[in-house]
Amino acid sequence: MTQTYRLAALLLLMVLPDLALAATCSCAGTPLMGALNTSTTEQGDLYFSLTSEFHEISDLVQGRKQIDDETGRERSSLSQALAFSYGLSDRWALSGLFTYIEHEREVRSSFFGSKQRTSGLGDSVLMLRYTPLYITPFSRHELSLGMGARLPIGKDDAGGLIRFSEDMQPGTGAAGAILWGQHRLAFNQAATRTLTSSIFYTRNNWENERDYAFGHQLVAGVDFIQNLNTRFSYAAGLRYQHTTSDRRLGFEVPNTGGQWLDFTPAFNYSLDNGLDINLSGRIPLDRKLDGAIQFTTSYSYALSLTYGF
Amino acid sequence: MASKSLVTVCLLMIAGFGLRAQDLAPGFSGIDLQTGDQINLADYRGRVVYLDFWASWCLPCLVSLPAYQQLHADHQSDDWIIVAVNVDEDTRDGLDFLEGVSVTYPVIADTEGEIGIPYGIRSLPVSFLIDQQGMIVRRYRGFESGDEVEIFADIQELVNN
Repeated sequence: MTQTYRLAALLLLMVLPDLALAATCSCAGTPLMGALNTSTTEQGDLYFSLTSEFHEISDLVQGRKQIDDETGRERSSLSQALAFSYGLSDRWALSGLFTYIEHEREVRSSFFGSKQRTSGLGDSVLMLRYTPLYITPFSRHELSLGMGARLPIGKDDAGGLIRFSEDMQPGTGAAGAILWGQHRLAFNQAATRTLTSSIFYTRNNWENERDYAFGHQLVAGVDFIQNLNTRFSYAAGLRYQHTTSDRRLGFEVPNTGGQWLDFTPAFNYSLDNGLDINLSGRIPLDRKLDGAIQFTTSYSYALSLTYGF
Repeated sequence: MASKSLVTVCLLMIAGFGLRAQDLAPGFSGIDLQTGDQINLADYRGRVVYLDFWASWCLPCLVSLPAYQQLHADHQSDDWIIVAVNVDEDTRDGLDFLEGVSVTYPVIADTEGEIGIPYGIRSLPVSFLIDQQGMIVRRYRGFESGDEVEIFADIQELVNN
């Protein structure tokens, strides 16, 4: 009996830091859209992308104000995403994304400072895109619309007997509906200077097995892209995200949801053999988070390789 | 100007993108930029036509135009012909380009997309191989040095058929 109590006490101590900080990370599921390949395609074109994206999620924020984190907590996510885009016709394309996610959280100043790590397959995305208007030598506008689904094919039971909090799971465990739209404006006939505006909405109506649903997410972005030559281009953009509160059993989960405004620089280098290398980042400019206090993204960066057939 | 742009946008939305093999090549006519001669696709019925779209800002075109000129010079025959369509918004840019890259086959201008839109061109360079009956046999996207060997083999195959 004594042994049973000891075991129970040990288990409790192991998960205590996790329970104390459960579901307070405003990463709202691992960001997927940045890795989704939305390259303009013609019939039969096939693109593959491999993206490695790192998120440092250690800023402690109260409303708009960043405050000192006395827990000494470190939180990060690393996602590997394999994306494809295939031109079904000159106007219709299918995009897909598969992810492998690693989450890490370390609490140093708690009495029994701990480090937790989870990893596994994350959510996938499948999206059908329609492009009624393309940039051509005779048109400066491109319009693409898409709809699809976030598929919960990943792991969402990390932690064994006592599961880790929802934000530490590689997958969300629930499906979501996706709407996407993008407009590109070329400033010259060669389209070496473009302005891309995009909007991406994820509706998370479904709950996972634990009756938990992440908040609905709206991401709107605008990017100016300049090709310096045939190989090198750079981009500078703004990204606005609004996420509603997560829900458990239909009730809002405190300290989740909010608004973010980020600066998003990117650099792209094209090799002779059709391979593109892209380095991008996200730097917070402003945020207004719901609830009393939240951990949120400090910065993120991604390295992506894209190959077109 | 605005109404012209709107018409272009509507045409692009309606037009079938990316004409494929076995489609009838849309007819066109124009004035040769260098000689002033009237060029009409229908006049070439019975000959194989290699139709090439290019622009001065298209970097691969710096390689493709001299390669096509070499083909034209080396294998000139009544059985086939190269016709080039320059799509620069300002035709003077195309003419300036031709001062550096001497071309002796017909080159016509298409500043508004009257030729390019029916052919569904999206990026440059793009070319079409048109057989003696006026049917598109093949579309070529992009150009790399050496591609002209395969292109001429395709032309010869059609000529010998």
